[in-house]
Amino acid sequence: MEMFENLADAPSDVIAAWIFTAIAGILVIIWVLKKRKLPVIWEYMRTTNHRKIGTMYILFGFIFFLRAGIDSLFIRMQLISPNNDFWVFQADKYNEVFTTHGTMMIFFAAMPMLLGLMNVAMPLQIGARDLAFPYLNAVGFWLFLSGAIVFNIAFFLNSAPAIGWTGYAPLSNSLFTPDANTDFYVFGVQISGLGTIFTALNLMVTVIRHRAPGMSFMRMPLFSWATLVTSFMILLAFTVLAIGLYLLMFDRLFDTKFFQGPDGDPVFWQHLFWIFGHPEVYILAIPAFGIFSDVISTFASKRIFGYASMVISIILIAFLSFTVWAHHMLVVGLGPMLNTFFAFTTMTIAVPTGIKIFNWLFTLRGGLIRFTTPMLFALGFIPSFVMGGVTGVMLSVSAADFQFHDSHFLVAHFHYVILASTILGIFSAIYYYYPKITGLKLNETLGKWHFWLFLIGFHVTFFPMHITGLNGMPRRTFTYDAGEGFTTTNFISTIGAFLMGISILFMFWNLVKTHWENKKVGPDPWDGRTLEWTVDSPSPENTFEPMPVVDDLNPLAKAKNENRKMETTNEHRSSPIARDSIIPFLISMTLGVFGICMTYEWYIAAFVVGAVVFAFFILRALTDEKNDYYGKDEGGAS
Amino acid sequence: MKRIGFIIMLTGISLLAGCSQITVLDPKSDTGKDQAYLIWLSLAIMFLVLIVVFILFTWFVIKYRYTEKRKYEIPVDVIGDKRLEFTYTIIPIILLIILAIPTARITFEQSPGTEAFQDAEGVEVNVTGKQFQWDFEYENGEEDTNKLVLPEGEPAIFHLKSEDVVHSFWIPELAGKVDLYPHETLTYRIENPEKGEYEGKCAEFCGAQHANMTFDVEVVSEDEYEDYLDDL
Repeated sequence: MEMFENLADAPSDVIAAWIFTAIAGILVIIWVLKKRKLPVIWEYMRTTNHRKIGTMYILFGFIFFLRAGIDSLFIRMQLISPNNDFWVFQADKYNEVFTTHGTMMIFFAAMPMLLGLMNVAMPLQIGARDLAFPYLNAVGFWLFLSGAIVFNIAFFLNSAPAIGWTGYAPLSNSLFTPDANTDFYVFGVQISGLGTIFTALNLMVTVIRHRAPGMSFMRMPLFSWATLVTSFMILLAFTVLAIGLYLLMFDRLFDTKFFQGPDGDPVFWQHLFWIFGHPEVYILAIPAFGIFSDVISTFASKRIFGYASMVISIILIAFLSFTVWAHHMLVVGLGPMLNTFFAFTTMTIAVPTGIKIFNWLFTLRGGLIRFTTPMLFALGFIPSFVMGGVTGVMLSVSAADFQFHDSHFLVAHFHYVILASTILGIFSAIYYYYPKITGLKLNETLGKWHFWLFLIGFHVTFFPMHITGLNGMPRRTFTYDAGEGFTTTNFISTIGAFLMGISILFMFWNLVKTHWENKKVGPDPWDGRTLEWTVDSPSPENTFEPMPVVDDLNPLAKAKNENRKMETTNEHRSSPIARDSIIPFLISMTLGVFGICMTYEWYIAAFVVGAVVFAFFILRALTDEKNDYYGKDEGGAS
Repeated sequence: MKRIGFIIMLTGISLLAGCSQITVLDPKSDTGKDQAYLIWLSLAIMFLVLIVVFILFTWFVIKYRYTEKRKYEIPVDVIGDKRLEFTYTIIPIILLIILAIPTARITFEQSPGTEAFQDAEGVEVNVTGKQFQWDFEYENGEEDTNKLVLPEGEPAIFHLKSEDVVHSFWIPELAGKVDLYPHETLTYRIENPEKGEYEGKCAEFCGAQHANMTFDVEVVSEDEYEDYLDDL
């Protein structure tokens, strides 16, 4: 079968991955059977509870984060010295690795971990008992996982895409990459993107409809604000990506000519991709901003400085992020007018971002700063992110960008912003919310080791990369000559990457140790200031019973300072209805199978599987859990 | 905190020491020099911002840290400060305007495009990129592969086109890059290149051997240039 054709001459890394996965799989199965965890797995497969779905988002996001992280170590090993031949990672193998690294980090690591944190924390922050559409939430999660599995299968079949995460046409067209590799990219990203759109809709409606009594928009914690704004951005940006991938799919499978040939235009793809791609950067950053706002406020024991301007600036950033996409295309030949316009719009983003930075700094002023692990990640973020921000302004200077563009300077820049905001933010939030997810608090000493090693490794990796780029090293090249002046800085970068790798081992050790000791903590282990710290750890299935009344931006801190309990009420909007179901899992996995059928152009099989997906749609349309709960007449009343 | 300070100091020193040798910051053409000027200007302005943030950050983090003495303190409830917030909105805007003006000027001079540099005088070269080589066609119709020779002092005008996927034409020592597309020809100009030997490369990922899609560049005297053209 053509699916397995490439396996005949599989390189040793693919064989090693098969062996590793087989052994790990057997060990996991033995552990599951021995500990009798099958019912738990069955429960999670059917759940629609926001904390459980959030936990799965974070867990699988973290697994893909590890895989993409290992890819980055392969990249750094190949680049450690001039004219190097590390293992198999040259030419197309190298191209596969950086494509996988980029695509996985963005779509299958950063996005799901952020969506997971929103799932876990946002309902608790605003006093919602669950997301507005629990069933849709499960569909969204399983679609993400299904897409991620489709994308990952490619590597195991020795058919990983090698087109860069940006998938520029016409290289991504069937004329230049006719094999299944690129189709795995198209279908993997498309399917998981669909799930992301569903989840965004869900989060948006939840924030708008399910806030606790008294929680006006201007009393909402900034992470929930970030969730709301990000959801709107996802809805717009991921739709554009879906359209782009859809057209690319037609170009590849059915020989349409959107991005190739005399009537097609490869620049169209770049426009579509970056109209998605630039907002995507802020889709990753804004939730992290929200996390840092809450963490800094908690551990400075102070409300956030300039709350109103914080809210206005995230809305401004979100709006402006849709006006700057062509700064990724300054060397495309759009002409001086557009080059200047997009330079200016890009520069304006620095203003609201600057406001946020100074508001965080002035939140610290006059505070009582506790250096807990989540706070360290938040504090590490501020100077690191500003360094990425200033190179961002430098890149916006369009004529200077002719030099920076697609060099390692750019690679340094976007790793500075994405790692400093998104990844430090995710780590901060994992330490911060671990009690809400599991009821356990992660070890602080190991957490600090994790933080310092990661932060130092991060700067050691990416700071020298600016210089590598200014010395003229283009990105996505697997080799360089000794005389080109890239040797020293590349070597330092590789050392830094391994420091980051080691820091993750400390995190692992921390997770194992914490669960081994199994010391439960109470609802409020951090001396929190907002609603989520009134709920038990881990958060139960039925939260906010009775419903609290919110009278301040930091209602819990206010109540504590006044030495009283928070007021409660029984008058509130009806809550979303949870109903365990295996259909979300089945529907998503079937769609994944459909993607694979399309990848290999098995159209008859695709038709059959597609019909099954459609049958699931109909099945869902005919069931409504609200009927059972409210009675037939009031169905849909929530 | 000490560790952060140490890293910043160390990298700062190595940055300053290395700047004189960094390719892009020491370019060998007027076009490249204008680009380097913008890089230096933006770096200087941004360095100002960086210093302010670092100083405030270090000051606040050290001064307001938790100590045994402050154990029972409850921080004053501050909502915000309109004047302060206004200040750090206005100052960045002013800094950005200072940066935006030369950006616009140089971008208008240098931007590549399908209709750019139509009336410009200079040595014209047709550049064709394909997986994974460069063809250069000179004014006399002769061609050379993976080797570009230019006369010193004269503006070089490139008409760039790809035969297959997107490539990007980049000679870091001379000036910034410009993409090559299969469906249209872009024009780019490098002014007053200086004598020397440089390395050109493809800067847009184009497939398996993208890393090896390089070419040699020689900027020579007018006479040597004529000799080279005659020998082709």
